[in-house]
Amino acid sequence: MADNREGKSILTLNHVTKRFSGLVAVNDLSLDMKERTIHALIGPNGAGKSTAINMITGLLPLTEGEIYHEDTKISGMNAHQIARTSCSRTFQNLKLYRSMTVKENLMMGNMTDRKQGFVPFLFDIKNANKEEKLMNEKADQILEFMGLKDLAGEYPANMPYGKQKLTELARSLMSDPRLLFLDEPAAGLNPSERVEFVNIMLKVFDSGIDIFLIEHNMDVIMNISNYITVINFGAKIAESTPEEIQQDPVVIKAYLGDRYKQNMARGASNA
Amino acid sequence: MKVNKTSALIAVAAIALAAILPMFISNNYHLNLMIQVLINIIIVVGLNFITGLTGQMNLGTAGIFSMGAYTSSLLATRLGINPWICLIAAVGMGFLIGMGLGYPSLRVSGVYLALTTIGFSEIVRILMTNLTGLTGGALGVTGIPPFSILGHKFQTNKEIYYLYLVIAIILIFNAYRIVNSKWGRAFLAVKDNPDAVEAGGINIASIKILAFTLAAVYATVAGSLYAHYVGFINPSAYNLEYSINYVVMLVIGGIGSVPGNVLGAILVTLVPELLRFMENYYWLVFSIITLLFVIFLPNGMVSLFKGKKREEKAGKGAQANGR
Repeated sequence: MADNREGKSILTLNHVTKRFSGLVAVNDLSLDMKERTIHALIGPNGAGKSTAINMITGLLPLTEGEIYHEDTKISGMNAHQIARTSCSRTFQNLKLYRSMTVKENLMMGNMTDRKQGFVPFLFDIKNANKEEKLMNEKADQILEFMGLKDLAGEYPANMPYGKQKLTELARSLMSDPRLLFLDEPAAGLNPSERVEFVNIMLKVFDSGIDIFLIEHNMDVIMNISNYITVINFGAKIAESTPEEIQQDPVVIKAYLGDRYKQNMARGASNA
Repeated sequence: MKVNKTSALIAVAAIALAAILPMFISNNYHLNLMIQVLINIIIVVGLNFITGLTGQMNLGTAGIFSMGAYTSSLLATRLGINPWICLIAAVGMGFLIGMGLGYPSLRVSGVYLALTTIGFSEIVRILMTNLTGLTGGALGVTGIPPFSILGHKFQTNKEIYYLYLVIAIILIFNAYRIVNSKWGRAFLAVKDNPDAVEAGGINIASIKILAFTLAAVYATVAGSLYAHYVGFINPSAYNLEYSINYVVMLVIGGIGSVPGNVLGAILVTLVPELLRFMENYYWLVFSIITLLFVIFLPNGMVSLFKGKKREEKAGKGAQANGR
């Protein structure tokens, strides 16, 4: 597990621990994510993946440890402050604004970009309108990029699950993040939606955004990530490239299972 | 702000109607009702920010309103200050109340917040009744002077109606702008999904406090306008029933929509008056009407005009998000 990667760290976790009274959800987790990578965090159910991402994005306080985004210490900050260090995220269970249209959902994504405060808003109608227009244009661009343009005026509840997931991703892109957290992006998608989502994720990555993701679907993980951290019972058990992780006996025992190894072997012999 | 032609036309028509209506009404009682409607519109449009959009149940309207009324009238009667300056002082009082009530809303929500606001309102009422030296106790404050501009006093109901109509239009216009801007969306987002709001880089605390402050300022302004119109106030009317009445207006008109708020305030102020011939039964009949509205038009009167899309969204949305 020698770490011979080069480049600047964009996200660093130093001995992060989270205890819920007696239960240790994340145990002394250290992790180093490099710039221009898609870094995946995997592990069995209940391993503490979502807890980890919730701590990083500030929704849960840490019990111990420190987290840095580039050189900024983000552990201890509020969720909204962390978001303003150009981090953005999606949720495992969609968190869309159900009484707003897709476009309005997106326009909530970059509210803080636009600096006009409330009192200036009341008196400077001209600038307020200009700002609204800019937000509108930005939302249109992102909708175009995501292929959601036809659904701009639709309410989330009326759309298929895959489109709702794309909407959430689109909203998280509105603030021009440099680091994007995706919590199980492919969960609940059918195979064709999954392909569409993976393509869009790669497109997002190519546009210069680094991605940290939690995922259960091995196809997705092995295809798109550059580096993988595996955790079990809250502790790190392996960390390497996708190729090495697939061979790692500890990971196979704890998470992938023997069946996975056999399938891989069959796939290799067929190829 | 998107303003399509139809809604602009409807707004102009409504303002024109409101402006010419008094010319056909000579009955003072009817004019009195219309002024009451304007005051109620201001309160409901304000309440919409916090209870309608942000989803924080505020049952303290009576307390906020009477704080505005008392601030304004005590300054005017005890210190002889110009009513306009008293109105500005009432706005200041609204700020203080908004901040004060906004903070608890960061910690408590739902039923507990409703109880907190009821508690606030009751404290205000009891203080107003018992601080006899300052507030005149149960007898209230009398001889509150009307507004005047350049020495002209607004004394007849007709004059006051036009003055208040202008103020109400300014406040409604601003409310409409806020609701249809990033601020309105942020209020709605806090109700829909607070975690996502935080993850979007927005401080929920400041948004909630802003919504409370707006609601409080609208209500204290309305209180001040009311005090300088009737000329006397006493604390007995400002109980829980009074606060609930405004929530009823909000729900019947249409939560979240400024035209809906206006409609709700007009209806709920006027319909009981139309039912007065039923004497003892009028409140019963009105309550049944309210109940029917809530069951059959959960999105308020305004949903009648919004076409199919809104209904579809309400039905499916409720199912898909039932939790």
